[in-house]
Amino acid sequence: MTSKPRDGLTAALGERLTERMAGGEDEAQAVARARDGDPEAFRLLVERHSRDVFRLAFRMTGNEHDAEDVVQEAFLKAYRKLDAFEERAQFGSWLHRIAANCAYDLLRARARRDQGVERREEDESDPMLAVPSGAPGPDRLLVGGEVRRRLKAALARMSALERSAFTLRHLEGMSIAEISRALDLDTSAAKQSVFRAVRKLREALGEHVQWGAAP
Amino acid sequence: MGSGSLTHPTEDELVLHHWGEDDGPEVARHLQDCADCRAALAALRRDLQAVPVPDPPHRGEDYGRHVWLRLQPRLAAEARARRVGRLRPFRARRPSSRLFVPLAVAAALVLAFLVGRHWPHPAPPAAISQAARERILLVAVGDHLERSEMLLVELVNAGGGDKPVDISSERQWAQELVGANRLYRQTAMRAGKPGVASVLDELERVLVEVAHRPSSLSAGELGQIQHRIESRGLLFHVRVIETQVREKEKEGTQTPVPGGKVVS
Repeated sequence: MTSKPRDGLTAALGERLTERMAGGEDEAQAVARARDGDPEAFRLLVERHSRDVFRLAFRMTGNEHDAEDVVQEAFLKAYRKLDAFEERAQFGSWLHRIAANCAYDLLRARARRDQGVERREEDESDPMLAVPSGAPGPDRLLVGGEVRRRLKAALARMSALERSAFTLRHLEGMSIAEISRALDLDTSAAKQSVFRAVRKLREALGEHVQWGAAP
Repeated sequence: MGSGSLTHPTEDELVLHHWGEDDGPEVARHLQDCADCRAALAALRRDLQAVPVPDPPHRGEDYGRHVWLRLQPRLAAEARARRVGRLRPFRARRPSSRLFVPLAVAAALVLAFLVGRHWPHPAPPAAISQAARERILLVAVGDHLERSEMLLVELVNAGGGDKPVDISSERQWAQELVGANRLYRQTAMRAGKPGVASVLDELERVLVEVAHRPSSLSAGELGQIQHRIESRGLLFHVRVIETQVREKEKEGTQTPVPGGKVVS
């Protein structure tokens, strides 16, 4: 990658580029320039997409620290793979697939590390265990606590693949086809992973939660 | 499954329908006529709604800039290494014995810097004031740590299935790194920097283990190495030292950019 001095750009030019990027007008141009070795263009892409990538990473890993690592890895991988990016594609979607893959790698590594080890305390703060907010009456708290306990059990039973596929489908709204591309699976495997995750979720929730008690 | 058909959709088909990914119109048609299946779909939706959509911790408007600042040194190092072809991970590149003397000097200087940074009293050797030379040496040590980090990342991310994994490239890579690492570790010990020496010692154990493994590992054998890397936070500690070295490298020059060019 040839360099183009970042400091050599005037602030005004930087602002104009940022404004155009924010308008989504020439992201393709920025990608093309980044691919040609313009670091300023890649910086704009990083600055534009960081928060979205962080959100995805956080939802998948359930942990702020891991999510930050995923953000770094995702941009690094994207930088390495810029040559493989197809110009007709959306850079954001492409980047999200890379980030999802990084998060999945991290979840797999975490699963291996945690094998035979009791889940750590930090899992208590897993965002997937958050109970939807609302007026927390006593009934709701009771039900919320039970739902939370059951969700925790369901998540513990999910493999890294199942959790990844489910999160991408349910929380990120990715299609099965997109999930299969992000996680390097065939469509059928992606579909089955989502099915198994839903099954485990529903089994854990069971029929004993008194849904009617929750407002 | 036609409208009014007695063949009810499976749970999986309802799941696909819920997300609008039906394979055809049959489920939708069936649901129009079947109250039981509509109830089943409602129950499914109720269960899925129990899983909240969590809001991530707040990240301000300048978050992207922070990400970039953290990322930039790694991109710059990658671009620089790519330019000179030394970061090709699977490329055979055995350090010749005549490189050991400058490597040792590099280790001495860099670790003297590390000692000076964390221990308030030791005075740096006179040679450390030679800024240009120090920078070259910092780059050498930084690259060693970066290559080590990349190898660890490769190993941690390798495998994932039950099949044997070919680690011949990683093994060769580890063989290349062991010699230099030993020099840095020994120098760290002599410099009275047990923390750094400890990290390099653990890194060396992993390098030696990988270097002496067969080219093909079972998933279990690979898992042992991965567990060793991850359970002791080795990757994290290597990154910390590398970051310190890179920061020192930057202190002596102007801002590097991903192209690797020094901006004046």
